[in-house]
Amino acid sequence: MNFTFVDWAIVVTYLAASVGIGLLGKRYVGTVSHYLVAGRELGLYVGIATLAATEIGTITFMYNAELGYKYGFAAFAAAIISGIVMIIVGRTGFVISKFRELKLMTVPEYFEIKYSRGLRIVTGMLVALGGILNMGVFLKIEGEFLTIVSGINARHIVAVMTVILLLELLYTVLGGMVSVVITDFMQYVLLSIATILVSIYAVYFAGWGNIVNKVTTVMGDGGFDPITNPKFGLTFLVWQILLWFSVHTCWQTTAMRMFSTKSPETSKRVMTWTGFIFLGRGMLPMLWGIAALTLYGTGALTNGVPAPVVNGATLTPIDAMPAMLANILGPGIRGIVVAGMLAATMSVNSSYLLGWSAVISQDIILPIRQALGKGALSSRGQIFVNRVANLFVSLFLMFWGLYYTPPGAVYLYLNITGTIFLAGAFVCVIGGLYWSRSNTTGGYVAMLSGAAGAIIPFFFLHWSENVTGFVAFGLAAAGLIVGSLLGRQTARKAQEAIATD
Amino acid sequence: MNLWLLFWTFCLVVAGASFAFITVVVSIKGGRDLQQWFKSLQQQNRE
Repeated sequence: MNFTFVDWAIVVTYLAASVGIGLLGKRYVGTVSHYLVAGRELGLYVGIATLAATEIGTITFMYNAELGYKYGFAAFAAAIISGIVMIIVGRTGFVISKFRELKLMTVPEYFEIKYSRGLRIVTGMLVALGGILNMGVFLKIEGEFLTIVSGINARHIVAVMTVILLLELLYTVLGGMVSVVITDFMQYVLLSIATILVSIYAVYFAGWGNIVNKVTTVMGDGGFDPITNPKFGLTFLVWQILLWFSVHTCWQTTAMRMFSTKSPETSKRVMTWTGFIFLGRGMLPMLWGIAALTLYGTGALTNGVPAPVVNGATLTPIDAMPAMLANILGPGIRGIVVAGMLAATMSVNSSYLLGWSAVISQDIILPIRQALGKGALSSRGQIFVNRVANLFVSLFLMFWGLYYTPPGAVYLYLNITGTIFLAGAFVCVIGGLYWSRSNTTGGYVAMLSGAAGAIIPFFFLHWSENVTGFVAFGLAAAGLIVGSLLGRQTARKAQEAIATD
Repeated sequence: MNLWLLFWTFCLVVAGASFAFITVVVSIKGGRDLQQWFKSLQQQNRE
């Protein structure tokens, strides 16, 4: 066991405070708009905190550190793209401003405004499938981190992760977005302190000169130049630009923060400033991974990179960073860092639970109910359906998340599962907002061909992630254009009919 | 390679400094934001 009494005290205090504060949120929830989009009253600073906390989790630290370990400084390209694209989206208001003006609660809701209820349901199903599969690997990876850093016996990790999931589920189910935002604020501060602390420790222990030398020795030019690195290259960079534009505009958990802000102008400012955080969100943990390679990369070569060997045990690259933390952090600091990582874990998981369950309830269950001729549910009824969906998503995660192991680099697995719906959704949203000829037929073809373009090449044909990404976005775009030109023109519905609050 | 290293070092410094700076600003000014938000929610609930 690596943890001392002080470390445990810090972690338990954090958990109790987090759940206690989260439960306070319930008193402010009166309507479904409070439950899902925080009453649309978030200001700039809380908006930044909740958006950053939602998209920075232990899983983010783990997969970015893995990229740094495997590909050196060249991996920074992915982080730079994610941050710069976010700043561009924020500055221009590309998609997000119009979304905010429409007063949406979920991304698929837009599909009923522009296209049809049927397409909203299909999109909702694909969003829920891609999103839940994406989140499905979080628990296992987060559990690995906790096991290695704290020294908890691996046999207990299922129980530990189950307890953590239940704690975050408790306040998310009861207080919805209000509880999530309150806890996100506290969790953002804590995870940021942990991020800064770990970065200082990693560079101090590994040494900047040693870090540069190790990457040079192991990877040569490919460790610095993303264009000559065989895993990346120009196709990867272009795919990443496309992917991040779609993530920052159409990813349900990010979009929900934009829907929750006071005004379209506030949503733009939140997105812009969080873009700068996104630079560090990627690069700092990648640096930890490179530091772990420098300190422990002495094992047998796999794809040209030495396996990490820590205290005599050979690990996988993704476990190198937590093993490094277990060795370099002292008592007390280790507790603060683990509390920070737990904060990151809980903020992401609670936001994702709410995001995907909102899609299941608002875009699948409620529209099907309406299509069957049943009347609209009251606000209280909708909150109840959301809570049940939340429980369903959690149950799925418990089984899928703890037993499924993704193939290859986790970052790329997450990219592909996200692309299942992002390719079609992004193309349909852009077409819907900026191309008057786009119609329902094109929307269906785009959503289905985008999903097929992500699933078939990656899971069945075993094509590379870059090619799969291009195929998915390309098919979706071609599907929207061809389908819209061949299909019948549909009248645009009044937005008032759908913007219910 | 030297140019790339210089570029990544610069990016890393900008990213680290931005991350720390925004954290400090959000931590200080976020409290007031939260208070205003709670007031708005209470008002919405009264209406």
